[in-house]
Amino acid sequence: MKNPSYNGSMKAQIAVIAEHTENRILPVTYESLSFAMELGERLGMNISVLILGNTVEAMAKQLAERTGSHVIGVEGEQLQFYNGEAYKAATIEVLETFDSQYICMSHTATGFDLAPRLASYLNASCVTSVEKIRTREGNIRFIRSMFNGKLHAEMAPATAKAVLTILPGTWPSLEIHPKSKGSVHIITTNFVPVASQTLEIKESEKGKLNLGDADVIISAGRGVRNPENLHLLEELAKIFPKSALGSSKAACDLGWLGYQHQIGITGQTVSPRLYIACGISGAVQHISGMRGSQTIIGINSDPDASIFNVADYGIVENIETFIPILLDEFRHFSASS
Amino acid sequence: MKLLVCVKQVPDSEGHLSISQEGSWVTYEDKTVFRMNRFDEFALEEALLIRDRIFHAKKTSIDAISVGPPRARLTLKKAMAMGADEGIHIREDQDRYMSPFDTASLIASYAKDKAYDMILAGVMAEDDMHCLVGQFIAEILEYPCATSVIHQEIINDGSEISVEREIETGRRECLRLKLPAVLTIQSGINTPRYPSLSNVIRARDQKIITIDAEKLQTLGKREELVLLSYPEPSSKGLFLEGTQREKAQTLLRILHEKSFI
Repeated sequence: MKNPSYNGSMKAQIAVIAEHTENRILPVTYESLSFAMELGERLGMNISVLILGNTVEAMAKQLAERTGSHVIGVEGEQLQFYNGEAYKAATIEVLETFDSQYICMSHTATGFDLAPRLASYLNASCVTSVEKIRTREGNIRFIRSMFNGKLHAEMAPATAKAVLTILPGTWPSLEIHPKSKGSVHIITTNFVPVASQTLEIKESEKGKLNLGDADVIISAGRGVRNPENLHLLEELAKIFPKSALGSSKAACDLGWLGYQHQIGITGQTVSPRLYIACGISGAVQHISGMRGSQTIIGINSDPDASIFNVADYGIVENIETFIPILLDEFRHFSASS
Repeated sequence: MKLLVCVKQVPDSEGHLSISQEGSWVTYEDKTVFRMNRFDEFALEEALLIRDRIFHAKKTSIDAISVGPPRARLTLKKAMAMGADEGIHIREDQDRYMSPFDTASLIASYAKDKAYDMILAGVMAEDDMHCLVGQFIAEILEYPCATSVIHQEIINDGSEISVEREIETGRRECLRLKLPAVLTIQSGINTPRYPSLSNVIRARDQKIITIDAEKLQTLGKREELVLLSYPEPSSKGLFLEGTQREKAQTLLRILHEKSFI
């Protein structure tokens, strides 16, 4: 790496690693920045942002303007695509100068790949998919879900440093327009990974289905029990204009619906006017992709299912028996109105 | 080729879960059903497919390893019934929360001098949902690692592996790793097989290699789980009451009031 040349005042107690694709900063980055701002306010710490890639200057400037923070751009040919080995090497070099106590990134396929690599090197704690911050007797705790969201766990770092991944969809996107214009510092790296090589990004083979355009999404989970019951959900979707079928990852893995229907981490993020979750337990991986929906209806036979923690209306019923009755009642309803 | 697959025993989390008195972990009831973490089933199946594919050329062995209390033996038996050659149980006497770093350091401590060509694990555990153990094993052993793997192919005479990892919106990152390497397997990569009768019989009689966790090396303490709690339900949430038909009528009225229908 060529002469980073920071001065002493550039120490950042909180570092946020930005994620981007095709010269565009991903929205989840602004959520992680919101998280970092909240953490910074609680602890009186300042924030710096790191962005890695082959050409990042324009994005670094954009981040600096929006956050008012110091942004370090690391450029290198080997950083064109995400590569755990190259990202780790480039990041730790910058972090050593920063001496950051907290290193934050989004809980995406990139974030959860990179976070433990950094934590391991820094002898740091690693808490993934953080949903809340809590202060207890002056100590900072990070709240995350376990058991498909049925329980919350308070995690306390037992080390000087902590690497955190932030669950998408839990912090609002950073909106502030700060007085400070921030600053940008670009450095280059020639690091070449030795044990792994990222070759290309393949576009989805899953076909295109933009669930973001739908006003109403009817989603299927494992609780639909049988792929033959999917026609019930299709019938239900038909009663709404501009509707689409969504799915939990579990239902896609079972082959019931194609992955183009998948909502949540590694799938799509949606915020329709109405979301009806049918037989979906409500794992955080799914919730993080649909939490922004205006009205959420959960239908599940398990009264303890965590989908009910985010639902506006909960119905404890079996999909197989309830949806036919709902469709039948709808026919009466439309005949009478 | 020598493969190690990490399998975790998890509770089937349908229904209510009780938090222990100190709030430090879950208290399982007698009726709690335990099974293999689904993501690890995909990892084990992928190892079995590798063995099926290269069986004729070279002998490939598969070891399944699990860290956990005595009941974790059942998950190793299941792994052997699916086709793993050996089961290795790193036994923890207490039924307690283990941090991913602790689990990884125990597995790495066992694996370090065993010359495995590949270590596979599920991308995450269904109970604590960390997505960390595989990456930590790789870091401790200084092996390259790919997470969220949805396709793999061994290339260059078994010296390298070409993998595709699933990233957001279903796109795939293609990379090549030198072996030995650690892969964390994404669900949906294959269809895990059911145990065959002959393997069930073999597994029933075969001994599991048991090692006390205390005898293995663990590394320093990292984050701690301080307290478990039940999440607060959304304050706006309303459960619809009545018979199925009454619930259906109420729901339609709500949808009508909100101008959805």
